[in-house]
Amino acid sequence: MAKRSLLNQGRAAHVFLIPWWLGLALVTAVPLLASLYLAFTDYNILSTPEFNGLENFERMFQDEYFWAAVRVTAVYVLVSIPLQLGFALLLALILDRGLRGLAFYRSAFYLPSLLGTSVAVAILWRQIFGDDGLVDRGLSLFGLELGSWLQNPSLSLSTLIVLNVWTFGSPMVIFLAGLRQVPEELYEAAKVDGAGVVRQFTRVTIPLITPIIFFNLILQTIGAFQTFTQAHVISGGTGGPANSTLFYTLYIYQQGFLNFDMGYASALAWVLMGAIALITAVHFVLSKYWVFYGDD
Amino acid sequence: MSGLDRRGFLKLAGAGAVGAFLTACGGDSGSGGASLRYAWWGNNVRQQNYTKALKEFAAKNPGVQIEPEFADYAAFQERMTTQISARDVADIFWIASPQVLTYHKNKLYRRLDDIPTLNLADYSKEDLESYKLGGQLNTMPFGIFVPALRYNETFAKEDEVELPPADADWDAWAAFLIEYAKDNPNKRKGMPYEPDADLPFESWLRQRGEQLWTQDGQPGFTADSVRAWFDWWDKLLKAGAVLSLSEQEGIGPDWALVGKKVLANMGNSNHIIDEARMFPDYRYKLRAMPVAKDAQAGYQFLYFPRMAIYQGIDDDKVEAAGKIVNYNTNDYAMLKTVGMTMGAPVNPKVFKQSLESASGDEKEMLTLVQAGREAERRPRFEAPPGTNTWRTAMSRAAEEIALGRLSTADGAKRLLDEIQAGISRSR
Repeated sequence: MAKRSLLNQGRAAHVFLIPWWLGLALVTAVPLLASLYLAFTDYNILSTPEFNGLENFERMFQDEYFWAAVRVTAVYVLVSIPLQLGFALLLALILDRGLRGLAFYRSAFYLPSLLGTSVAVAILWRQIFGDDGLVDRGLSLFGLELGSWLQNPSLSLSTLIVLNVWTFGSPMVIFLAGLRQVPEELYEAAKVDGAGVVRQFTRVTIPLITPIIFFNLILQTIGAFQTFTQAHVISGGTGGPANSTLFYTLYIYQQGFLNFDMGYASALAWVLMGAIALITAVHFVLSKYWVFYGDD
Repeated sequence: MSGLDRRGFLKLAGAGAVGAFLTACGGDSGSGGASLRYAWWGNNVRQQNYTKALKEFAAKNPGVQIEPEFADYAAFQERMTTQISARDVADIFWIASPQVLTYHKNKLYRRLDDIPTLNLADYSKEDLESYKLGGQLNTMPFGIFVPALRYNETFAKEDEVELPPADADWDAWAAFLIEYAKDNPNKRKGMPYEPDADLPFESWLRQRGEQLWTQDGQPGFTADSVRAWFDWWDKLLKAGAVLSLSEQEGIGPDWALVGKKVLANMGNSNHIIDEARMFPDYRYKLRAMPVAKDAQAGYQFLYFPRMAIYQGIDDDKVEAAGKIVNYNTNDYAMLKTVGMTMGAPVNPKVFKQSLESASGDEKEMLTLVQAGREAERRPRFEAPPGTNTWRTAMSRAAEEIALGRLSTADGAKRLLDEIQAGISRSR
């Protein structure tokens, strides 16, 4: 009787899971597999896909825009993620000192994370860094006439890096939660042993929050590789000036939906997925050497 | 308790889900008459005007309901592409210029000359012949653009400058713009930097005896002509006669941003309708493009935005769709509601009617288009499949030249290479 009841409960669970399974299959799994097939075809959306083997992947090697997109995305990830995580950790440390109105600051600092990837903020960024914008006017007070940062290939990417760093709220909240988990007695013991603030930070805090750092690193890296909205809005979808904001996902979009080269776009998407998977795997392998879990 | 056990609840939920599914698959329950989808692009003002005009049409034709499908130009093309892929295209749709032949190749257009509700009597045989694609009347032009030089007459008066004569060549215009930018008291520039403006570029090519596209779907121009075009703009940029990329916030500037900074600009004749409204205190005038001293006969041309009826439309909706196309192309009533944002009317009768009630800006446009209609014109061919992003390639090259990262010769070569690669891929 009890066995039958369990069986019924299992069936009921499966019935309730049907919408989720349907969603997974129709919205994720089928398109994913379809794009894997399309990556090996010449497909312009309007006509039937034609199998072309590895041609799309070979084409990438000769495609200067592909390499420009790889370069821009790599620079963005390598520069913005350490800056963002460093800033988030710094703010978390300050908030962890028991400020009055902590809840308010936490919410206020978290807000950019919610807004940072929005179209509205990207438009705001255009105004701030544009010709005669806030930054241009501010710098002109000091005799610096840089004009529009967004139209200067040497500066345009840095504005997007600043925008990403500004969205430090999400990793900051996770760091804050991690910092709260560090046992107070360890700090007391360190103090007794004569450790100063810096030594406590490097020898107690950092080692104990390495799992949190690792978690944030993985999450933010994957997110940074997929940056799209900001680059699209700020460059008007072109990735300009001179391809300086041609993010990889923006290039996929251009190929798929502007050039109607969905086969090539699918191949590009799978290369991105492979790159993210590989980098994540490398992070996991290297984590053995610097991440310390409580049960180590 | 309600008496509903787990099994009962699951049955109820399952029945509900099946019911919802069947309802979703059921489609239009049918309220009588034809329901047609109409897809177009533009800005907010155009959206409102056309929505109003379509409502007016529906009010006059009780058996026809119209479902408007509006989007911004770029989004419109993306949506069309996905709709084509899903074979779910709007019954009547506008065609973005780079897609005319691509859609034709993919058999999207239904023939129009067998639809009794579409009246073609006002058009000459020659005109109808020129609208055909693949020997068949399957798209209908609903506006005319010509390349135009627009200038701000208010600024010209304020700055006390006299524009070059109407037959001035490109060099004379360049000299004037350079002089103007150097001397005017309000520190305005001559024009925005716009080597990627397609109609002026086409005018440049045709004056040199070339064309944008050939009949057999190839670029109709040489790298030399593109280089000379880039050189003309580069000279203006280096002399400070046109806005820098920084001043105009990138290639393809927004007129709302640059309208106060320049005396003139090169573009399409119809742009005066929407862009003059952005600065109601200024008066704008249109004039023909500069003309090379050795310009080849027949260089002038008309550009037609086109609309079509979807090949897959239900047979019982065709006549209603014809009525809508007729309303768009042959009915002055629609023009009164939507204005001339999509250019001068193609129908000669509507063109005459519109002249009588045209505003100052509209008269400027109509006069220039009329001159184009009366001029000798060599044939013009649409962009072939695979060239839908040629203007992006043009913008990229122009941008890199302006930034000093590419020579004009290399920019010209790259543009042609990218266009050729696109055409080859599409085959």
